[in-house]
Amino acid sequence: MRIILTLLRKDFANFIRDKAAVSLTFLVPVALIYIFGQVFGLNRKDSGPTGIRLAVVNQSDNPAAQQLVDALKAEKSFRVLTNRVNPDKSERPLTEEDLRPMIRNRDFRFALIIPRDVIATRGVGLHLRILSDPRNDIETQTVNGLLQKAIFSNVPQLLGQSLQTSARKHLGNPRLDQFNGELAAAVTKAFGGDVEETKQALAEGDFGLSALGAAGQSGQQGASADFFAKVVKIENEQVVGKDVKSPEATRVVGGWAMMFLLFALSHSAAAFFEEKKAGLFQRLLSAPVRRAHILWSRFLYGVLLGLVQLTALFFAGRLMYGIDVLGNFGNLVVVCTAAAAACTAFGMLLAAISPTAAAANGLATFLVLTMSATGGAWFPVSFMPEFMQTIARFTLVYWSMEGFSQVLWAGQSFLQILPTVGVLLGITAGVMAVAVWRFNRGAIFD
Amino acid sequence: MLKLDRITKRYGTLTALDGVSLEIAPGEFFGLLGPNGAGKSTLMSLVAGLRAPEAGRITLDGRRVTAADPATRISLGLVPQAIALYEDLSAEQNLQIFGELYGLRGPDLRARIDEALEAVQLADRRRDQVKTFSGGMQRRLNLVAALLHRPRLLLCDEPTVGVDPQSRNAIFDFLEARVRAGLTVIYSTHYMEEATRLCSRIAIIDHGRIHALGTLDELLARLPFRDEISFPATPATAELAARLAAHGQIIRDGGTHRFRPATAFRTSAFYALAESLALPPRLFVTERPTLEALFLHLTGRTLRE
Ligand SMILES: Nc1ncnc2c1ncn2[C@@H]1O[C@H](COP(=O)(O)OP(=O)(O)O)[C@@H](O)[C@H]1O
Ligand SMILES: [Mg+2]
Repeated sequence: MRIILTLLRKDFANFIRDKAAVSLTFLVPVALIYIFGQVFGLNRKDSGPTGIRLAVVNQSDNPAAQQLVDALKAEKSFRVLTNRVNPDKSERPLTEEDLRPMIRNRDFRFALIIPRDVIATRGVGLHLRILSDPRNDIETQTVNGLLQKAIFSNVPQLLGQSLQTSARKHLGNPRLDQFNGELAAAVTKAFGGDVEETKQALAEGDFGLSALGAAGQSGQQGASADFFAKVVKIENEQVVGKDVKSPEATRVVGGWAMMFLLFALSHSAAAFFEEKKAGLFQRLLSAPVRRAHILWSRFLYGVLLGLVQLTALFFAGRLMYGIDVLGNFGNLVVVCTAAAAACTAFGMLLAAISPTAAAANGLATFLVLTMSATGGAWFPVSFMPEFMQTIARFTLVYWSMEGFSQVLWAGQSFLQILPTVGVLLGITAGVMAVAVWRFNRGAIFD
Repeated sequence: MLKLDRITKRYGTLTALDGVSLEIAPGEFFGLLGPNGAGKSTLMSLVAGLRAPEAGRITLDGRRVTAADPATRISLGLVPQAIALYEDLSAEQNLQIFGELYGLRGPDLRARIDEALEAVQLADRRRDQVKTFSGGMQRRLNLVAALLHRPRLLLCDEPTVGVDPQSRNAIFDFLEARVRAGLTVIYSTHYMEEATRLCSRIAIIDHGRIHALGTLDELLARLPFRDEISFPATPATAELAARLAAHGQIIRDGGTHRFRPATAFRTSAFYALAESLALPPRLFVTERPTLEALFLHLTGRTLRE
């Protein structure tokens, strides 16, 4: 027992000395718990995604359609766009013709069209159209659910009008008026209220269905939702990725790729310390070798290794899951290179700012996990609160995933991926500048 | 060939070298003898241009050595104190890389690698990973790796630490042969035996200062005694020890007394005293003093604390 206690004390003494281990044990879990908590909406009244851009084109002049638009605007999951900003900063309402190119251009991933014939002229029912770029499966399913919810809770109004419209067609105006009057009289007689008001309400399509809608919305009434689903016809059109051969695999492969790359990042940080420990820097620098040679050869090594690793991964994905790697191969290589460069730069920065290899490893683990979580490698960025989404845009994971999706999912051209590649290379340049500066001032070459 | 002129180097508040001046001629086997932390490695790193001194200048063949100018480095080779090899690679691959960094290529480089491996008896292990080598083998490879480009000045920073006697001798023989062939060597060590055996001139360094500089004989002549007489510390010799205290320095070293006679005290007087105390001459061993004794005399400390 004494022996066990002594050894136990030794383990704790070692642990407390190892700052990297201590911070890994406590800091990393806390940071990740925070991020996951944000994603799953812990302690937030309104969980779920926020700020997903949704373009809405309302072609109907029906006031109830406008109500639906307003309802969507009030929904915090969506940021509703109804106008298009011209190059000269002036705005005009979006038209249906704008939507597809803008989706392809990644301005937004979802659009709702409320057509002129939202209320069927034949028979009873509603008709809506949704355009989408379902580049992320989870997000797309969630958005579809939210849209349905918003539509269904506004359906009663629209549906009532649909009933009135078809009644008018079958009965003619005077007889419908008479019918509404009699019905209003009957209703007020049975339930109380003002006859004229009730008649007016009926003419506007309010058959009390909104109560039904409210029930459907709260989810207690599966039957009413079913009923709506039969009456409301939503036409879905996938704008991007229709021809992707293996959509499921193609959508997730970017996240996998990032994990691979980020682990290479930790590796490149640690290797630096190995060389330092062995006195190899002294040997190298006593030869006609400059610090810059060592730094940039390491950088190139990291980039090439990352590139080879990613290529291997994508070809494995092609073999096992049929991901179409070759279709846009040139651009894929460009994105991979830029992503690998950004990752390598981060690895070098870690080596430059860490006092020891253990600290570099600890920092790398922390950075890999938090960047993956915030940057969207594990779950859609749109599921995080808006401020986290802003932070996400500062991670290389976010831009790399964007690049992979642009190339593999949307099949974009070199010109189209250029801005994303530019951001990645910008990150690389910025991070490398800091790393080189730190290397030249820091102790690693001492 | 190499000249250090009042070199001062600090790490923060610690002064690692304090106004060190040295001049080393071509073909010298120059020893830097001092304990850990004396500043030996710092001096080597300054000569190799890895660091810049805060004050003073270093010139190699009249050309100033600076951290920024790699031109002088081609004429010197550094054997770092740590084993600076890629241990996952083979001996051959290591030499290949270091040779290429000096611009060596092709058959010339291959011939030099063969020669180097041969010289330190590693030819039969050339394709093995360095990490499978014994400490002594790694040290030998560490040494020849600095010589591929045939520098004229070799900086050896404690090249025998942790080495078995056989490898140590192989390293000594190798270096001596090279010096005979015209190489200039600066050799740092905290083993006085190494400095004694190898070096034509020795600098004794401690706390960043050179305390003495010269050939072995010149250095030992600075001691106030010439010989050291030791004898067992027993009740029978206690009287002798007590009486000798008046004639020099007497040190109790475990079971032995060491007597360092004052210059005026002649050896004959010693034996007369011993005889008067009925102590037989076979009890006494007379030795030439060592650099260890000189170091103690100069600094009041031992080389290995
Ligand atoms: N990179 C460094 N940073 C701070 N202090 C150092 C550094 N290198 C050596 N020192 C200190 O400088 C002194 C001389 O060190 P060094 O030149 O390595 O001595 P030696 O090689 O003779 O053992 C020592 O006190 C050591 O602790
Ligand atoms: Mg040293």
